[in-house]
This record gives sequence, structure tokens and C-alpha cells, in this order.
Amino acid sequence: MRKVIIKPLREFQVPVEAERISPDVFAPLSIEEIRRLEIWEGNRKVTLSDLFMISGDDEPAPPGDNEIFLYGDFSRVKRIGEKMTSGTVVVKGDVGMHAGNGMSGGEILVEGSADDWLGREMRGGKITVSGDAGEYVGAGYRGESCGMRGGEILVKGSVGDYLGEHLCGGTITVGGDAGDFPGIANRGGVIVIGGNAHLPGAEMASGTITVRGRARVLPSFQRLETVEIDGIPFDKFLGDLVDGGKGELFAASVEDGGR
Amino acid sequence: MIIEGGIVYDPINGVLGEEMDVSIEDGRVVEESQDGEKIDARGMLVMPGGVDAHAHIAGAKVNTGRIMRPEDGRRGTEARTKLLRPSTGYTVPNCYAIGYRYARLGYTTAFEAATPILEARHTHEELEEIPIVDKGALTLFGNNWEVLECVRDGDLDKLAAFLAWGLRASRGYGVKVVNPGGGEAWGYGGNVKGIDDPVPNFDVTAREIIRYLMRANEALRLPHSVHLHTNNLGKPGNYETTLATLRAVEDIASSRDRQVLHVTHMQFSAYGGTGWRDFESKAPEIADYFNRHEQFTMDMGQLIFGSATTMTADAPLEYGNARLLKAKWSNHDIELEESSGVVPLVYGRKNPINAIQWAIGLELALLTEDPWQMIMTTDHPNGGPFVNYPEVVALLMSRAKREEELATLHDLASKRSSLPSIEREMDWNDIAIVTRAGPARILGLAEKGHLGVGADGDVSIYDINPEKVDPSKEHEEVKAALAGAKYAIKGGEVVVRDGEVVAVPQGRTYWVDASVPEDAAARVKADLVEKFAKYYSIQMSNYMVQDAYVTRPRVIGAGVI
Repeated sequence: MRKVIIKPLREFQVPVEAERISPDVFAPLSIEEIRRLEIWEGNRKVTLSDLFMISGDDEPAPPGDNEIFLYGDFSRVKRIGEKMTSGTVVVKGDVGMHAGNGMSGGEILVEGSADDWLGREMRGGKITVSGDAGEYVGAGYRGESCGMRGGEILVKGSVGDYLGEHLCGGTITVGGDAGDFPGIANRGGVIVIGGNAHLPGAEMASGTITVRGRARVLPSFQRLETVEIDGIPFDKFLGDLVDGGKGELFAASVEDGGR
Repeated sequence: MIIEGGIVYDPINGVLGEEMDVSIEDGRVVEESQDGEKIDARGMLVMPGGVDAHAHIAGAKVNTGRIMRPEDGRRGTEARTKLLRPSTGYTVPNCYAIGYRYARLGYTTAFEAATPILEARHTHEELEEIPIVDKGALTLFGNNWEVLECVRDGDLDKLAAFLAWGLRASRGYGVKVVNPGGGEAWGYGGNVKGIDDPVPNFDVTAREIIRYLMRANEALRLPHSVHLHTNNLGKPGNYETTLATLRAVEDIASSRDRQVLHVTHMQFSAYGGTGWRDFESKAPEIADYFNRHEQFTMDMGQLIFGSATTMTADAPLEYGNARLLKAKWSNHDIELEESSGVVPLVYGRKNPINAIQWAIGLELALLTEDPWQMIMTTDHPNGGPFVNYPEVVALLMSRAKREEELATLHDLASKRSSLPSIEREMDWNDIAIVTRAGPARILGLAEKGHLGVGADGDVSIYDINPEKVDPSKEHEEVKAALAGAKYAIKGGEVVVRDGEVVAVPQGRTYWVDASVPEDAAARVKADLVEKFAKYYSIQMSNYMVQDAYVTRPRVIGAGVI
């Protein structure tokens, strides 16, 4: 296994577009060549070594044998692991927006928290976040009819609004709470929320959303029956009927009691 | 400038693949040029600059498409360079990309196909930002209240005067008619189901609207004929409506040396079947009719698989599309003039309807014997983006390519169309007609589409030798050569070299100024003063497109006096 270690040289005031920090890009390059990769800091084109200290095994290796370790604050570094197909990225801290964009394989481990658009349009592989994640986890680009299509996202903490917007496949598991409209326009993906959720499944056509805490359920969902999952009773709903949806929503506790 | 030794196709002047020089001076083709600039075109295909007579490239609905489709904007992004501004989009590119991409294909003229007068200022603001190509815009008249009233009252003189006024108000080039009467009925949630269905509140029919507009168009001797989007467009079985429409106007004569009616994106109007289950091609019936009636012309509206953005003044059609496909939908009411809609969609090879539609466009082009009656279009971006024109040319020139494509489609494309049995393969002369000479003649652009002395110095040169390459077999080479012109020359200036844009001049905007008798103009004005006072959301004084919005006009005169 080839290891590459990256540490920021300073604090970033403006976002860094770092889609080149990816096992697929690093695989055929020596450390010196990795240092010379061009990226953007705000509107300025710089090399990776202008912003980061880079060390590790010099010998190129297939993407799947690359392990990239990011130490420090990467919260303003965007698009890490974009379109990666294999290998591993380990972030020993926070990671910025759009981490794991469109990735189709491999693994990203974030030991801190992730910003917005984590795993946007992901197709495969796995992302694990120990802390929280921002808005639009596993969502689609603006206007796109599909967000995440495959793979797995696990956020141990809580997430922001629009979790899994236009989810077309794959699985998202959240340990804590979700914000507004988790699973909006779900088209066949699976979402499990450990804590509470507000208005899950709006416009959903298919797929499954499970809320193990309390959920405020939209009036356009039809309550079907009580089912048991892992020994806990859940209210099962069908929706979103506004769009003739056939999605399934399970909630352990429903806000406002009546529904 | 002298373009030396190219193999020239210039059908208007009877040049069919002759090795010859083309000289340009002061932006126009001349007998002999003195300035000394030489372009070596030996062994290359030389044609007049391409002319697109029907594309949706500017105005409110195009911009609505952009706003609705941020996901389209990110496809086809190209960073700015020292010379070029940034490009975005595939089906709804930004203004700069439209100009650059036409130029790369060797197209030097493009006409926006549908502009309501009320939104013409927006159209011209965008046309002004489209670089390189010459352009113009067709003005919508088919659902305008003033038109409907003139038709109801049988007042042809007033109608002609209103057309002249509307063209001037919109700085428009020709009379576009979309689903006549249907757009007005849509204001009440309805549509017209054929040419004899009455339009609510006006007691007129599409038959009468089309006939009157054509007669007024000919009375004004406009350079272009009426440009018609038929009723029932996009619906199974609509070929009967299309043929009924044409039969209803057979007696009307053209006032100029051109067609009397252009039926646009015919692919969408040549459908058989009673519904989507027995949907089938009726292209042979349509082509057969055109083969017997030389006074009519059409364009293909070829379908391209992949992403498209449909946009039309046919608002009820778009409502149907949005419901059928569960797609995004924009609907727009344009006061007394039109309605409109925008719906993005994806055409799939394995979708039986889309596959048959694809075949219909090609059948129409290949079964219509006279290429002068046919223009190659994709009804950009309704059938697909114009950047796919090289693909369409390759399909028209190669039966082998058509068979390769058919093998990847839903098998109903072969069973419900006659395409597999069509042997015809267009030659370079046919292609020069359907992409340049024909559209220029159909639009009435005397200085476009040919390379005779006095023509505009618009030339495209492709790195393909028509004497050596067999387009029937080597269709990949054809497609590659047409996708990036070796040279595109606009008004005597090299704008593309080796497929890259190297100069960005600003083109001109064509519009038609038609004169009418004063008394008819005065009667129109009296009507309009009342309409603006009663109904319009803006003042009449703010309505006309001012000259400031058309900074490089090319005004074509017409009219009755």
C-alpha cells in the first residue's frame, strides 16, 4: 500500500479547488510530480506544493493501492476525491464542500466533520464521516434529475437540510438528526436517520426512508400500518401522494401525535 | 483574398464539385481579388457558409430554458481565452457559445425561429451578443388578437398593414405561425383539434388564419413565406392535419420566386397511429405530397438521441409533454400574442417512440426527391442541439451508417418506418443545398448560400476530399471533417482555422421593412391604441424595438407600395 501524506502549510482564507487530491490522479505520479499538480486557490492557479506539504512513498502504484492521508484543517478545501474509482482518502480533520463528488469506488474516511454536498452524485464506494455533515449530502447538482445513484454514505453525527435530494440509488445512514426535507424527491434510494427528521420524503416517488427518532410528517403521506423493525414499532406511510409517489416512510415517533 | 484550388459546391450557380478559385474583396465575392491573401484549399471541400433557417437561439424562452436547466449549463463549459468569452451549455448554450459553435461547423447565418413582438427586445439583446454569424428572427403572428380580428372581419388590407407594423415593431424578418388558434385557446386551458376547430371568442379557424396570413404575406411580397408550425404537432395521427392544412392552401400563389409556405420541423407533424401504442411513421405520405407540390418546402426537425430542451409557442403541447414525461415545465402567457412552454427531456434509443421519430426525420429528407424543398435542421434544441448537424449529414449520406444506427435502436424504428428500405444517399451537391443554398433561397436571402459575384464572402472549407472520400462508406470521416471546419470565412475574414475560432467579428441582423398604404396603417394604429389602453401591460410607446437594440441592421425592403 502506497501512502501519501498531505498537510496544509497555512490557513486558507478563500476556497481551494482540490479535485486533484484523488488516488486516481496520484496513482501514476511520483511525489515530486504530485507537488507540481495545478489547482486553484480562489481565482489563482497554484501548485499543490504552494499550499501543502506533501510526503510519502515515491513509487507510483495502481489507484487501488493508494492511501492518501490528510492531516489538519481541510474545511476550505473542496472536491477532495472527486470522481475517484478506488483507493482510500483519510481525512484527519474536517473536510470542505463537495468531498467525494461523483465517486464510483474506493473509500473516504473523514475523522472530523464534512461540509455541504458530501458525496454529490456519488455512484459507488463508501464515505464515512465521524462528525457531522452539511446540507445536500448525496444530492444532485442543481437541476439534475438524479443525485447519488449508488454506494454508501455513513454520517455518525447529524446532517443539514436536503439530505439525499433526488436520490436514485445507494444508501445513506445518519446517526443523529436530519434537517428539513431529508429524502426530498427520492427516486429509489434508502435513507436511515437515527435521530429526528423534519418533513422527510417530500415529492418522493419511490425508495425508503426510516426515521428512528421523531418525524414531522407531511399531510400528503398516507398512514398505512404499524410495523416492527428490530423490535421497535414504526408507523409506516405511503407517499408523497402529491406526486402519486409510491415511497415508503417509517417513523418511530410522529410529531403532533395525530398522524 | 483568394481561396485557391478547392473543390467547390455552389448549387445556386450550377457548380458541382469543380476545382476552382473563389475570390473575395471588401466582404463580397468578386471576379478577381487583388489584395494577395491566399488560402490553399487544394483537395478540400469548399461550400458557401452554412445557413440555419430554423433554430431557437435567442429570446425569452431560450433564457427560460437556461434558467430551468443549470444542469445543462455545466455540460459543454469551455474556459475563456484571450480571444473568446466562456462557453456553457449543450442544449441551451450561452450566447457566445452559439456563435462560436456555428462558426466551427462552418455556419455563418442563423435565424431565431419564434419571437413574440412583446419579447422581441429580449431576442435582439441576445442576438446582439451572439458573435460571428449573421442572424434574424421570425415574428409570431398566429395567435395575435389583431390578426384574429382581421381574419374574423375579412380585412386583408388591415392584416397586411399589421404584419408590416409587427415586423417593424419586432425588427423581425418573417411571419411565423405556431399552432394557429391553439395558443389563444390555451388561455382558457383548451386547444384546437384541427384546422376547422373554432378559436374561442373569435369565431375563426386555423384554416382561415393560415390562409389569410399567407395571402397577406404574399400581398406584402415578403422575402420569406409564411413559416408554419402545424396544429396538432407532436400528436399521433397528426399527418392528416398536416395534409389537410396543405390542401387548404394549394390555390394560393407565391408573389416571389420561392415557396408559398414553409412547414417547419416536419418530423413532429408526420405521425400516424391512433395513440402512442400504434404510433407509426407517415413520412412517406408527407414526402409523396411534397413530391407532387413543389410550392411547399419543409425542414427536417431531426431528432438527436440524448438531452434536448423543447421550447415552443405551442403551450398546450408542452403541457402534454410535461405530464407525459413528468418533466420540468415552464408555461408562459404572452398577453394578446401567444402562449409558450419549455420542457427538458431525453430522447432514448431504446424508447420506441423516440426511435420512430428519429427514423421519420431521415425518411422525410430522403423521400423528398427535390432537395430544394428540404432544409436540414434539428429544430435546435427541440429535436437536439445544432452541434449535431455533422451527424445528420453523415446519416443522409450513408445508408451503412443508418443501418449501424438502426441496429442500436428499439426495433420498432425499423418496423414502423420505411427507413430500412430507403437506398438513397445524398451527395455533396444535395448536402450543399439542404444546408446552405436551400435555406438561403427559402428565406429569400439573395446574398447568402452561394458564391456568385456579389454574394457575401461567407465560405466554409472542410478538410475532406470529395473526390477521394466515399461518404457512403467513410461516414466517420465526413462527420469529423464537418464538426470542425478547416476554415470558416465570414465576410471575407477568416473566423475559424483548423476547427478553432480565430476571430470574432460581429454579424448583422436582418429585418424586413414592408411599406403599406397609409389608410390601412392608420386603421391598424387606431386598433392598437385601443388594445394597449385596454389590455397590454406596457405602453405602446415602450413596445417597439428601438434601433439601439439592432446595432448592425441589414434592412430588406418589401411591401405593397
